[in-house]
Amino acid sequence: MNEDQVLVADTAGRIFREECPADIVQRAEQGIYPSELWTVLIDNGLVLAGIDEANGGSGGILVDALVILREAARRAVPLPLAETFVASQLMNQLQQPIPALPVTLVQGHFDLTEQGRLTGQCPGVPFARHCQSFLIVVGDSVQGGQHNDRLCLVDADQVTLEHDRNISGEPCDALAIEIEVAQQRIFAVDRAFLDRGRLLGAAARAVMMAGALEEMLKITVDYALERRQFGKAIAKFQAIQQQLAVFAGEVAASVRAADTLLDSAELNPLDVAIAKARIGEASGLSAEIAHQVHGAIGYTREHRLNQLSRRLWLWRDQFGNEHEWHETVAEAFLSDPGMGLWQKITELKV
Amino acid sequence: MFQGMNFSPASLPPSVDRLREEVRAFLEEETDWQPNSDFNAGASPAFSKRLAMRGWIGMTWPERYGGGGKSFLERYVVTEELLAAGAPVGCHWIADRQSGPLLLKFGTEAQRQRFLPAIVGGDCFFSIGMSEPDTGSDLASIRTSAVRVDGGWRLNGSKIWTSGAHLNHYMVTLVRTTAPSENRHAGMSQFIVPIQDPNVTIRGIDNLAGESDFNQVFFDDVFIADELVVGQPGNGWAQVMSELAYERSGPERFLSAFRVLTEFVGCLQVSADRQQRALAGRLITHLVTLRRMSISVASMLESGEMPDTEAALIKDLGNTYERMVPELIRLHLPDQSSARLLSALQECILHAPSFTLRGGTREILRGIIARGLGLR
Repeated sequence: MNEDQVLVADTAGRIFREECPADIVQRAEQGIYPSELWTVLIDNGLVLAGIDEANGGSGGILVDALVILREAARRAVPLPLAETFVASQLMNQLQQPIPALPVTLVQGHFDLTEQGRLTGQCPGVPFARHCQSFLIVVGDSVQGGQHNDRLCLVDADQVTLEHDRNISGEPCDALAIEIEVAQQRIFAVDRAFLDRGRLLGAAARAVMMAGALEEMLKITVDYALERRQFGKAIAKFQAIQQQLAVFAGEVAASVRAADTLLDSAELNPLDVAIAKARIGEASGLSAEIAHQVHGAIGYTREHRLNQLSRRLWLWRDQFGNEHEWHETVAEAFLSDPGMGLWQKITELKV
Repeated sequence: MFQGMNFSPASLPPSVDRLREEVRAFLEEETDWQPNSDFNAGASPAFSKRLAMRGWIGMTWPERYGGGGKSFLERYVVTEELLAAGAPVGCHWIADRQSGPLLLKFGTEAQRQRFLPAIVGGDCFFSIGMSEPDTGSDLASIRTSAVRVDGGWRLNGSKIWTSGAHLNHYMVTLVRTTAPSENRHAGMSQFIVPIQDPNVTIRGIDNLAGESDFNQVFFDDVFIADELVVGQPGNGWAQVMSELAYERSGPERFLSAFRVLTEFVGCLQVSADRQQRALAGRLITHLVTLRRMSISVASMLESGEMPDTEAALIKDLGNTYERMVPELIRLHLPDQSSARLLSALQECILHAPSFTLRGGTREILRGIIARGLGLR
């Protein structure tokens, strides 16, 4: 991070700490959406960082947005920030004005006729009921050997939703559409553009997992120092110390992998793959240790630990799980038999 | 957030690109050894001498001692290239990594002038003498001791698991110079013991792989002249602790299984199923991350910091990784595995138990990390 981004992180971190205490998260999971918090974040320019001002954003570069998302994740902010980040980055890339917020990208099964009739559905759209706009991906229609992918901009009142929640406790709704879309709201895109959407999502989730992991380590260490058993703090037991040391190693690796993304102006696809896979792997083991150290109290719904752990379990599966990104990493290293593994490793930016 | 968890991204200076090419060109010419990325698995005085001729031993040391005056990051690049290629670095490794830096920090001018140019020239190899038959992780419990005599010390006792003692010339040995007291860490000193002294006896110990790279070393009234005491008598513990960041943060702590990985990836380039590809991707993902962390620490060492907890974190994560590599690859072997892959795998499995023991056991490292977390 450069100096500006450190400042962004400090400011965003303070706002999230002050404005998003654990009970806001808990109430959100009970169905009370924190719309006031959303307004605060909009007013402070924390939602559309990295989007050109000409398109309605706050300016700055993409990494600024990742810095903010990492801070938001420390507080398990129950708002569609990553979803809006992905969709608005794509709109920005199309040089289109940012639509009504929140906005999310929807990749399900959709058809679009030449007359502009859009039909289809997508299960499990996070925060769909709170989104004001949707970017619907219409893909996989091959014409003359060419992929003919398009993006349709759709308003909230044009979709039908069936409400549900995912393991994070956040809204996650099935979405169905049967409407006519105006031609100016249909954008032709290519495969690289859609891959970009997945990459943006993976980068967001990677840095968010790293932030949540750091916070989880902090509260777990605090708890181990405070909780007493057998006449002393459980932190004094070697069995606990050894577990927390393993946890710390996973967090350190995760933070380093995330920092690589925050250390360059643009996303390097291979670094995103490495970060998403490495941090996803760290999330499972770390959450296991954090819960073991917390004991039963961490298993109660109202405890802050599982506001973080349930999100980690969700995020590691979104925008590609470890296995999928491992294959991407392998592809990058296996595709060029002329170049040795070591040579390729040393050509990556440190 | 926590002390000792700082792995800020560092960059390698552009000058290392040419250096890296030079090392690779040098290694291309090398023919008389079998590659093994385990730094402890190969030792060749002739190879170390050839390396010295290129100026790649003691390359960070001041030029007035024959050193290269290069940065720690340049040294990093040379060491990682040697390990990745599986070069037999065992002879000069300890002298280059920590004995030389120890003398630069605590040694007398006479010691520096006597030993550093010899190390740089590839003519002088060092071992480390810490563990004893009754002392492993509890280093402060050592019993090897010395009593004051005219002009020096008389040394008695024994060190064990001493890698390369049969090939090396000197051994930086931690000994008690005053009887144990309330302060367990007081009263220890570091001696430079000439291994070829007639009162030093070396007995080789075969490891489980059937190799004989480590030894037990016995001291029977060995006279150690005052000029062979490193730093102040009694300051041994603090001096040993100051070596740990060098000892624990380098690429040798996560590259020991690299030979297996690189042969595995080579076989997959012919044909691979999804599971094999995903495994290769996973192991590469870990490796790239570890390397970045290690270079972050190298950069901190370059700027004079002492990142002990970071070093412990790298060694623990790196050793865990080194042990994971052969265990996972053996379950995903390609149908047409090369003979080189199979033999690298066997060797690695046999060496693997040592990864999490040497240079600080996993349990000791995790204790250090726990201290960094404020738990103890």
